[in-house]
Amino acid sequence: MSTLTSVQVEKTRHEDKPVRRRFNPSTFAGWMGGVIIVGLILVAIFAKQLSPYDPAERVGRPFQPPSAEHLLGTNDIGQDILSELIYGSRVSLTIGIVASLVTMGIGTTVGLLAGYFPKRLGKVLMRIVDLVLIVPFLPLLILLAAYLGRSLFNTVMIIGVLSWAGTARVIRSHVLTIVQQDYVLASRTIGAGDLHIITMHILPQVLLLAVGQFVQATSGAILLEASLSFLGLGDPLQKSWGTVLYWAQVRGVFLTPAWRWWVLPAGLLISLAALGFALLGFSLEQVINPRLRNSH
Amino acid sequence: MRIGLKGNRLLEYLLVFIVAVTLNFFLPRLMPGNPLALLAGVDVGLMTPEERAEVIIEAGLDQPLWKQYFKYIGNLLRGDFGYSYRQKMPIIDMIMDRLPWTLLITGLSLIVSSILGVVLGAIAAWYRAKAIDISLLWTMILLGSMPSFWLGMLLISVVSVENRLLPSFGAITPAMSLTGWEKTKDILEHAVLPVTTLSILSVPGIFLTMRYTMLGVLGEDFIRTARAKGLSEKVVLFRHVVRNSLAPVVTILAIRLGYAFGGTVVTETVFSYPGLGRLIYESVSNRDYPVLQAAFLVITIAVLVSNILADLMYPILDPRART
Repeated sequence: MSTLTSVQVEKTRHEDKPVRRRFNPSTFAGWMGGVIIVGLILVAIFAKQLSPYDPAERVGRPFQPPSAEHLLGTNDIGQDILSELIYGSRVSLTIGIVASLVTMGIGTTVGLLAGYFPKRLGKVLMRIVDLVLIVPFLPLLILLAAYLGRSLFNTVMIIGVLSWAGTARVIRSHVLTIVQQDYVLASRTIGAGDLHIITMHILPQVLLLAVGQFVQATSGAILLEASLSFLGLGDPLQKSWGTVLYWAQVRGVFLTPAWRWWVLPAGLLISLAALGFALLGFSLEQVINPRLRNSH
Repeated sequence: MRIGLKGNRLLEYLLVFIVAVTLNFFLPRLMPGNPLALLAGVDVGLMTPEERAEVIIEAGLDQPLWKQYFKYIGNLLRGDFGYSYRQKMPIIDMIMDRLPWTLLITGLSLIVSSILGVVLGAIAAWYRAKAIDISLLWTMILLGSMPSFWLGMLLISVVSVENRLLPSFGAITPAMSLTGWEKTKDILEHAVLPVTTLSILSVPGIFLTMRYTMLGVLGEDFIRTARAKGLSEKVVLFRHVVRNSLAPVVTILAIRLGYAFGGTVVTETVFSYPGLGRLIYESVSNRDYPVLQAAFLVITIAVLVSNILADLMYPILDPRART
């Protein structure tokens, strides 16, 4: 952090306006996002203690409306919907977070290489980034998921491997400016190798940016997972929030009053999770990304 | 004035196409298991010996891989997407049945969402950091966090089922031979909810782009000059700011079209709308792989074409890009 702020000081010195400290809406958004995320992660961790029933067990008559025993009713085979949703948070959040870790890993590596070797390797890599960004994303995701089969691992890998292009772009543009700094030149003149410079000088500076990208990517990954599961491409044994909506769709629940307790809560949870990560990511980006520092 | 595509952009699009085709070619052939089932899209046990022999010859499975590859590309270039053994009809016919519906709702939602996105984005940027800007930003972040298929389901429950305002199913009322205006009205009524769902999906992205671009334009010197000349705020806004913010937005629209087509898969599934997206869903659940591949390829082509169109339009909207 300290190295990053020293770069910031360099930048802000040229600005004619002094930096004012006042209520910052993006900081508020960040805190709100953080609270949502922590809340949902706690639900996922303590799913066993929180859920009234085993979500896989048939604990009542099918298609029951909400009652004291089943706060959100039961599904088409008599499972408790509330328990399904509580346990589903484990699947949805895990897939979202792990997939974005993959995204961050690939995106940061590509961005580092493209920014540090901007001539030949960088050009080729950025061309690949352009290609990945043009291909219709969800159809490709569906195609791969359909061929590779429905499993947690496949969902994570497909989302992670296909969505790194944006991260790579952001990291690269930041690396391009870091490489211009004097201390990188100094390090090079005393004989430091490329690997040393990348890992010791550049990586620490982009790491924070990469974390910001990771948080934003998680929001997207949660929505993508929901879409895939909704289309019946999720792991059949690991029900996520999207899977709950898939069964609601297959059984035509939204044509009956049951949409209020079956469709509404599941989608709210997906939205809440995506919103939490989007808010935190947005706020982090305002703090971290030097390009946005003074623009808003 | 010379407007045209830069050669390397065109090369890029060609490359995307080749990558998509190559992926399509290798996926069924490199997966574990019998490629025959994947290429035919039905269980091998359900096929007659003649059909099996036909698939082998059609895909060239008895030939070396590179010969199969060129045969595959040759077929595609002739518009031959293969045969659906499950639906017992040529895939190109299925695609052509579905494509117009998808183009209709994607096109309509593109119009709706770009107007909404551009106008709201312009308002937000003009009143930057005021209450209206902040509330628009929050609304867009909220909308962007909602899964579109869920919104679609809620629209059906509330609008169609509980209030009986609009149809929730299909693209046209079946078993009614409507003509002329009545038919158009029927089709439009069926399109309202899917188009709404798709538009809600796209507006936040367009809004954010427009707002961000316009904030950049507002900071430029020629805006200060325009104000210094004594032009009214209205003229500055429409002739100078909005006019100069449109070009990047068009590019973003084209790039995001791939995203919009992705949205049709879930949206058409929810509304049982007989377009390409619904075809993708159906072929996923039927394991009709050849159809799935063909639909993916057609959507890729549509996205590439719209990118080319956007590239052609860019110099018209932004004279600085004319060479």
